[in-house]
Amino acid sequence: MNFLQVLIDNLRKGPATEPFPFGDASTPAAYRGRVAIDQDACVGCRMCEHVCAGGAIRFAEDNEALHLVIWHNTCVSCGLCAVYCPTKAITLTNNWHVSHRQEDKYKQVDHVTIPYSACTSCGVVFLKAQDPLMQLAYKTVGANETRLRDLCPDCRRVESSRGARP
Amino acid sequence: MNFISKAAKKSPWIYRINAGSCNGCDVELATTACIPRYDIERLGCQYCGSPRHADIILITGPITVGVKDKLLRVYEQVPDPKVTVAVGICPISGGVFRESYAIAGPLDQFVPVDVNIAGCPPRPQAIIEGLAMAIDIWASRA
Repeated sequence: MNFLQVLIDNLRKGPATEPFPFGDASTPAAYRGRVAIDQDACVGCRMCEHVCAGGAIRFAEDNEALHLVIWHNTCVSCGLCAVYCPTKAITLTNNWHVSHRQEDKYKQVDHVTIPYSACTSCGVVFLKAQDPLMQLAYKTVGANETRLRDLCPDCRRVESSRGARP
Repeated sequence: MNFISKAAKKSPWIYRINAGSCNGCDVELATTACIPRYDIERLGCQYCGSPRHADIILITGPITVGVKDKLLRVYEQVPDPKVTVAVGICPISGGVFRESYAIAGPLDQFVPVDVNIAGCPPRPQAIIEGLAMAIDIWASRA
C-alpha cells in the first residue's frame, strides 16, 4: 500500500512544473536576468560601456545631454556592468520576460539621459558630478564642494588654485 | 481527416537547428524539454528528428559562414506554414561574435524570423514564453 502514500503526497504537493510564463517563476536571487538601469543613480562615467562584453551598452551625446542606450538583444547577462558601476545604478533583475516578436526586435532598448549643465562661471556646457557621485567621493558635501561642482573643469582649476601663492 | 487536422493544430512539432552555437542554448533547449519543472510538452510541443515533420524551427548560434548554406538547405525542407524562432542573442544580433569575419548572421537577413528569445543562454522560462508566442503565430497561420 506504499503507492497510496506516494499518490497522496504527490496530490498534496501539486504539479512540479512551474506555471511560467502564465504565472511566476521562483528564481534564486543571484541569477542574472534582464538588466535594469536606475536613471537617478547613473552618473555617466561610461564604465559600463567600457566593460560590456557584448557591446550592448553604448553612449551617445548631443548638445544637451549624455545618453546611455542598452540593447537587450545583444546583452550576454555577464553582470560586469553591475559589478563595475560605481553608484550601483545597474542591476541584473530576475525578469525573464525577454522573448518578443520580430517586430519588437529593435524596441528592446532602455535609454537613460544624463543632462549636461552650464558652468556658472564661463557658461561652457559640461557633465556635472551627479549627487550619487558626490556622496561617494565626499564624507560630507559642504558648501565649497557644491560651489566647485557647478564649475567646468577649467574654471574649477582656476578657482581651486586661487589664494595659493604665486 | 477534419478531426485529424483539428487535433494536429494543438501539437506543433519543433525542430532544432544548431547554426554554429556554442551549445549553451542547445543545453537549455534540452533542459526545457526534459525536466518536469519546465516541461514544454504541456504546450503540445514535441521535438522531432526530421525537418520534414517540423512546424516550429528553433535556430541557435550566430550563423557561421560555413554553416549558412546548410542551414538554408535544411530550412527549405520544413513544410509551410512554419514558424521560425531565433534562440539566444547570437542569431538575433550576433551577440559577442558580432562583426566577426566568420559570421554571416544575423539570422533575419536570410530567413523571416517570427519570434526572438533573448538571453545568453536564454533561461528555460524565456524559451517557454517564446514558444508560447510561436504557437500563437503558428495557430494563426495553420
